[in-house]
Amino acid sequence: MADFLELKNISKFYGNIIALTGVTTTVNPGEVTCVLGDNGAGKSTFIKILAGVHQHDEGELLLEGEAKKFVSPREALAHGIATVYQDLAMVPLMSVWRNFFLGQEPKKGVWPFRQIDIDKAKVIAKEEMAKMGIDIRDTEQAVGTLSGGERQSVAIARASYFGARVLILDEPTSALGVKQSGVVLRRIVEARDQGLAVIFITHNPHHAYPVGDRFVILKRGRALGNWAKEELSQGELTQLMAGGAELEELQHELAQAGAD
Amino acid sequence: MADTTTETPSEPAAADSGDERLAHRGPIQTLLTRPEIGALLGAAGVWTLFWLVSAPFGTVGGTANFLDVAAVIGLMAVPVALLMIGGEFDLSSGSMTGATAIIVILLSSDTGTLGGAGLSLHLAVPLSLAFALAIGWFNGTLVEKTSLPSFIVTLGTFFILIGGKLGFAKLFTNKVIVEGLDEAQAYDFWRNIFGAQWVRNGHIWDGRDWAWAGLLIVGGVALLLGVLELTYRRRASSNPAGIGVGIAGAAVAVLGLAYLLTQGGRTSDWTGGILVGAGVLVGVAGWCIARYEPADRSEAETAPRFAQYLGGGIVALVAAMVAAWLLDAGNADQLGFLPGAAGRTVFALGVGATGVLAVLAAVGRLGGGWAGIAAAATILPAISFMMTVQAFRAVLFGGLALLGLLLLTLAANRFRLGVAVSGLMSLMIVVLAFFIQGQADSRKIRVQLFTVLLLGALVLASNALARFLSARRTVAPKPPELGMWTRVGALLGLAGFVVFAVIELVDGDGILYALATGVAKGGLIAFGVYAVGTVVRLLFTRDDGIGRSVVSVGLVCVLLGVTSKLLFITTIEAEATRAETRFGVGVLFFLLFALVGAWVLVRTQFGSWIFAVGGNKDAARSVGVPAARTKTTLFMLVSAAAWLTGMTIAFRLNSVQANVGDGNEFRYIIVAVVGGNLLTGGYGSALGAAIGALIWGMIQQGIGFSGWNSDWRFLVLGALLLVAVLVNNYVRGRAEKAR
Repeated sequence: MADFLELKNISKFYGNIIALTGVTTTVNPGEVTCVLGDNGAGKSTFIKILAGVHQHDEGELLLEGEAKKFVSPREALAHGIATVYQDLAMVPLMSVWRNFFLGQEPKKGVWPFRQIDIDKAKVIAKEEMAKMGIDIRDTEQAVGTLSGGERQSVAIARASYFGARVLILDEPTSALGVKQSGVVLRRIVEARDQGLAVIFITHNPHHAYPVGDRFVILKRGRALGNWAKEELSQGELTQLMAGGAELEELQHELAQAGAD
Repeated sequence: MADTTTETPSEPAAADSGDERLAHRGPIQTLLTRPEIGALLGAAGVWTLFWLVSAPFGTVGGTANFLDVAAVIGLMAVPVALLMIGGEFDLSSGSMTGATAIIVILLSSDTGTLGGAGLSLHLAVPLSLAFALAIGWFNGTLVEKTSLPSFIVTLGTFFILIGGKLGFAKLFTNKVIVEGLDEAQAYDFWRNIFGAQWVRNGHIWDGRDWAWAGLLIVGGVALLLGVLELTYRRRASSNPAGIGVGIAGAAVAVLGLAYLLTQGGRTSDWTGGILVGAGVLVGVAGWCIARYEPADRSEAETAPRFAQYLGGGIVALVAAMVAAWLLDAGNADQLGFLPGAAGRTVFALGVGATGVLAVLAAVGRLGGGWAGIAAAATILPAISFMMTVQAFRAVLFGGLALLGLLLLTLAANRFRLGVAVSGLMSLMIVVLAFFIQGQADSRKIRVQLFTVLLLGALVLASNALARFLSARRTVAPKPPELGMWTRVGALLGLAGFVVFAVIELVDGDGILYALATGVAKGGLIAFGVYAVGTVVRLLFTRDDGIGRSVVSVGLVCVLLGVTSKLLFITTIEAEATRAETRFGVGVLFFLLFALVGAWVLVRTQFGSWIFAVGGNKDAARSVGVPAARTKTTLFMLVSAAAWLTGMTIAFRLNSVQANVGDGNEFRYIIVAVVGGNLLTGGYGSALGAAIGALIWGMIQQGIGFSGWNSDWRFLVLGALLLVAVLVNNYVRGRAEKAR
C-alpha cells in the first residue's frame, strides 16, 4: 500500500534564496513523524508548504498516492491537514467552548433567528477534551486561564474533532516547562493512537525521540536525512541535531584552550 | 411535559454537565462576575441619588426626559461597543450623525432655494443611508488593507466629515445651519417613522398604582423563590412539617397585607407591617424546611479579615445613621463657593478618600488603587462645588450606607453560614429606616424610602434564614424545559393577538395601532399562562430547571410593573401636571438596538467572531474567521446607527446645525467603557453599553432637575469614567480568576 502522505525531494525558493531543498519523508496514520532542526533550518517553510500557506517549487507532495499542491490553508484543511501553530491560535479572553468551535460554530434555528447551539457546543467540547484525557472543569472557563499544556490540548482536540487526518504541531513544547511538555507529549501519543498522522516539529531531540516513529533532520534548508526509529538511537539523534562534527570541533578547541 | 423525550432524545448527557470539582455558583455570584455589574450598580446608585434630591426625577415625565437623552447616546453606544469589542474605534461616528442629517436636508430641499437637489425623501433617505454605509465600508477597508490603527484612519474621516459639513452648509445656504426639512416631499411619511412621538397624557388608568404594587409584590416573591430554587439543593421528598409552617406563614403575611391595605392609621400600620414581616419570615422558613435539604451546621469556620469587615461595616452603617439624621434638612443652598466652602471641600475630600480607601482595602487591591484615590480626589471637590447642601448629605448618607452594606456582605461571605452577620445587617437597615423616617421632611423619603429599606431588610433576613436552614447546591440546575404550558400559552397568545388586532382594525384605528395592541395583549395572555404554568410546575413537579423559569417570571412581572407605571397616568397626575409626557421613537430604537445587540453578541456566530477578532485577530483568521469582513461589517453597523441617529435628529428639529454630533464619539466610547467594555477589545457587553447610556442620561438630566451648578458636570463625568474603568478592571480580573 502506498504511504498516506509522501514527500519527495520537496524544495522551496524565495527568489535566489534556497529556503528548503531535497526533503523526503513519509507520514502515515498512527505514526508520528518528527521534523527536527535549529532556528533557520527551514522548519517553518516546511510547515507552510504542508499547511497550504506556501507552495513547493520542486519535488512532489503525494496525498494517498495523488500529487497535490495546496493553494490555500483552507484547501489543506479540506484535505484533513490541520496545523496547530506555535502561537496556539487561541483567543485568551474567550471561553474554552467558544475557542473550540471558533469559525465552525454549531448552529440551530432559522435565519434571521439562527444562533449558536451553546448547550451542544459545551457538551461536545467537554467530551472531546475528555477523549484527549483532559478533564476540563468548566467549558465557560476563559482559555487565558488554562496552562500552556492545556491550551495545546484544546488546539489538538479541536483539530482532531474537525476531521483532521494529519496533525501538524509547530513547536508545541518550546514554550513549556518540563512537566507541561510531558502533558503535551502524552497528547501527541493519544492523537497517534486515535489513528491520526502526526507531524511534530521541534528542536528538542529529547522530546522527539520518545514519541517519534520517523525522524527528518533539517539543517540550513537541507534535509540531513530521513530515518525510521530502528535506524537511529537517541544519542545519534542528539548528535546529529546538535551539529555533530561542529560540536566535536568546538569541544576539541575548548579542551586545547584549557590545556594552554 | 409528557413528550419531552421526543425533543432531546440523543443528549441525555447534556443534563449532567456539572462537574464535581466545580462548586456550583448561585445566581447572585454568577451575576457578580458579569461585565455589566459595575454599570448596573452604578445606574441603581445614580437613580436613587437623583430620586432622593429632586422632585421631577422618578416621575413619568422625568423618566421620559432622561430616556430621550440616553437614547440619542445609547443608540450609538451599542454598536460602538460592538466595534470596541472587535478591537477598533470609530472617531467619525459622532460627526457622521450630523452629516447624514445635513445630507438628507440638502438632497430634499428645492433646487435653487438652498442649492438642494430637490429629491423626494423616498430617495433622499435611502441615499443618505448609502452614504453612511459607504463611509463605514471605507473606514473598515482602509483599516484592514493598511493595518493602520483605526484611531488614525477614522480621525481622518472625522475631520473630513466636519470640514465637509461646514463647507457644504456654507456653500449652499450661506449659514452654519441647514433647515427646511418639513417642506420636503413625502415628509409626513418619514416623520411618522423617525420623528414619531408617543404622547401618553390621554392614557389614564386609575388602577395603575394597584397594578404596579401588585406586580412588584408578585415579581418580588417569584424572584425570591427562584433564587432560592437556584441556590439550594432539593430534598428527595418534601417535609410535611415544613409545608404546614410555610402555609401558616404565607397566610399570616397575606392577612397582614390585607390589614395594611384596608385599615388606616398609625397603629394598624404597625400591626400590619409586623404581621407581613413575621409572616414572610415564617413562610420562607417553612418553604426551605419543606423543600431543601437541611444545611450542615456542624462546623463554623471564619475566613481571614472577617473581623475587619464586620467592624468596618458596623462603623460605616452607624455613620450612615448619623448622616441620615442630617438628611433632608431642606437646605437647597448651593455648597459651592459659599462661606466655608474650603472647609467643606476639605471635609468632602477627607470623607471621600477614606471611603475609597476603605473600599479598596476591602477588595484587597490597595496596591493598584492609587488611581482610584485620584479619581475620588477629582470627583469630590467637583461634587461639593455643584451640589446643594441637601444633596451632599444624601450622597454622604448613600455612600456610607452602601459601604457599610458592602463590608457586612463581605463579612457574611467569610463566615461559614453568615447568618448572624446577615441578621445583624437586616436589623441595622431597619434602624436606619426608622432614623430616616424620623428626620425626613418630604413624604417621598418618609414613606417610600422607608418602605423600600424595610423590604430590603426583610429580603436580607429571608436570605439569612434560608442559608441557615438549607444546604447549597453543588450541581448546576438543568436547563428549563419547554413544557405543555409554554405551548398552550403560545397558542392562546397567538389567538389573543389575532382577536385583539381584528377588534382594533374593525374599530378603524389603523393597522400599526392594531398590530401593537394585538402584540401587547396577546403577549400578556401568553405570559399569564406561562406564569401560571410555572407556579404549578414549581409546586407539583420535580423539574430541576424550574428555578430559572421562576426567576424570569419574576423579572417580567417587575418589568411589567415598571412599564405600566411609565406608560399610564392616573387622573390625579393628569390634573397635577400640565406638561405632556411623551416618548420619542428614538427610545424604541435604542431599546431594540440594545436587545438585538446583546443577542447577536452572546448567541450568534457573528458575536463569537466579534470577540475573536478583538481578542486575537491572527488566531481568529487562522481558524477560518473572516476577520476583515467581520470588522468592516462592524464599521458599517456603526455608520448605519449614526444614520438612524441623524434621521431622528433631523426629523425632530427639521433643521440641523453644521456641528451637530461633533465630539459625541468620545461620549459613545465613555458610555461603552462605563458599561464594562474593554478599550483594548475582546471583552465586553452590549447591554452594559446601554446601561452606561442610561447613566449618562440620568446624570445629564438629574443635575438639571436637582438645581445643581451644571458647570462642573464634565468633571463628574470624567471622574465617573475613571471609577468605572477601575471597577471593570477589578470585575474582569475576578471573572477570569474565579472560574
